[in-house]
Amino acid sequence: MNGLQVLILAVLGILFVASLTALLRGWSSRKEGFVWCALCVLAAAATLWPQLTVKAAHALGIGRGADLVFYCAVVVMMIGFWMTYIRLRHLRRDMTRLVRHLAILEAQSSPEQGAARPPSSSS
Amino acid sequence: MNNSAMTQSGDPDQIRDTVFVVVPAYNEAACVGRVVEQLRRVYPNVIVVDDGSSDETAAIARGAGACVLRHAVNRGQGAAIQTGIEYALQRGAEYVVTFDADGQHDVADIRRLLEPIVRGRCDIALGSRFLGEALDLPASRRILLQLGVLFTRLTSGAKLTDTHNGLRAFRRRAAQKIEITLDGMAHASELIDQIARSGLAYMEVPVTIRYTEYSRAKGQSSRGAVKIALHYLLGRVLR
Repeated sequence: MNGLQVLILAVLGILFVASLTALLRGWSSRKEGFVWCALCVLAAAATLWPQLTVKAAHALGIGRGADLVFYCAVVVMMIGFWMTYIRLRHLRRDMTRLVRHLAILEAQSSPEQGAARPPSSSS
Repeated sequence: MNNSAMTQSGDPDQIRDTVFVVVPAYNEAACVGRVVEQLRRVYPNVIVVDDGSSDETAAIARGAGACVLRHAVNRGQGAAIQTGIEYALQRGAEYVVTFDADGQHDVADIRRLLEPIVRGRCDIALGSRFLGEALDLPASRRILLQLGVLFTRLTSGAKLTDTHNGLRAFRRRAAQKIEITLDGMAHASELIDQIARSGLAYMEVPVTIRYTEYSRAKGQSSRGAVKIALHYLLGRVLR
């Protein structure tokens, strides 16, 4: 095992522990937790036994194991971006609702806002 | 005031107290005071939604006699309009009008918009500068607006002449049915889409838009328009 493999495995190990902790403590959903843990295990397996990716690539008709890893990484990243975007949208929507609620609450509790002032006599 | 009684009388001048004018405003200190004063000469209920402005918009609008709602942070024009509509409905509005804060609309046009609603001919009246007048409208802006009309026709099927006009009037039950979820400028297309799907009766009314250097500076660039279109399409997909 070379130095780079050790480094990658260490990072993956930390990610796995963090994902497992989040899953067990209920910080993340079950589905999310399992997906992250599975991704860590798969990445660790591919790092430890690179020939596995070569075999899988051949089975899928792809030339090299590195290509398969690259394609998988692109797909996972795209899914990650899309999920983050959707989550951000929901967050924005919630934020708008909160801001709206506060604005209306503030207006309701302000006595001078209860009724608009009568128009000036120039009208 | 009873809605059916008003419809029978059919005179927009008799329903002024039940009309709430919603003015979304973001950093409009230069204009909002004059706009509110003009509105308040005719309509006593003016709601300015200050969308997290960093200038004196809220204070000036309040000083001019408007009821001011403040968004703690900037959420976009669509969000501000929805806030204003919800508050107007809570205050018992029978008619809700949306009106831009940059001074490009004519207060007299509100009466024209309300007339067909009060007479029971429609639930929503949409202002159209292309049926009315667009004074000092730059050619580039005209093309952009026409592209907006075409875009909305393709996406919502509504055959309108002006889809991005901030001057609109709603009967109470129509305003209750509308829920703007797109916070930014894409709300204009979303609104047309909702109106077209709602089954509510709508019509266009000729209005005058007066372009000034100020309102032109506040308007959308073509790049911004593309961004708005993408926002709207994504909003439709992820609804």
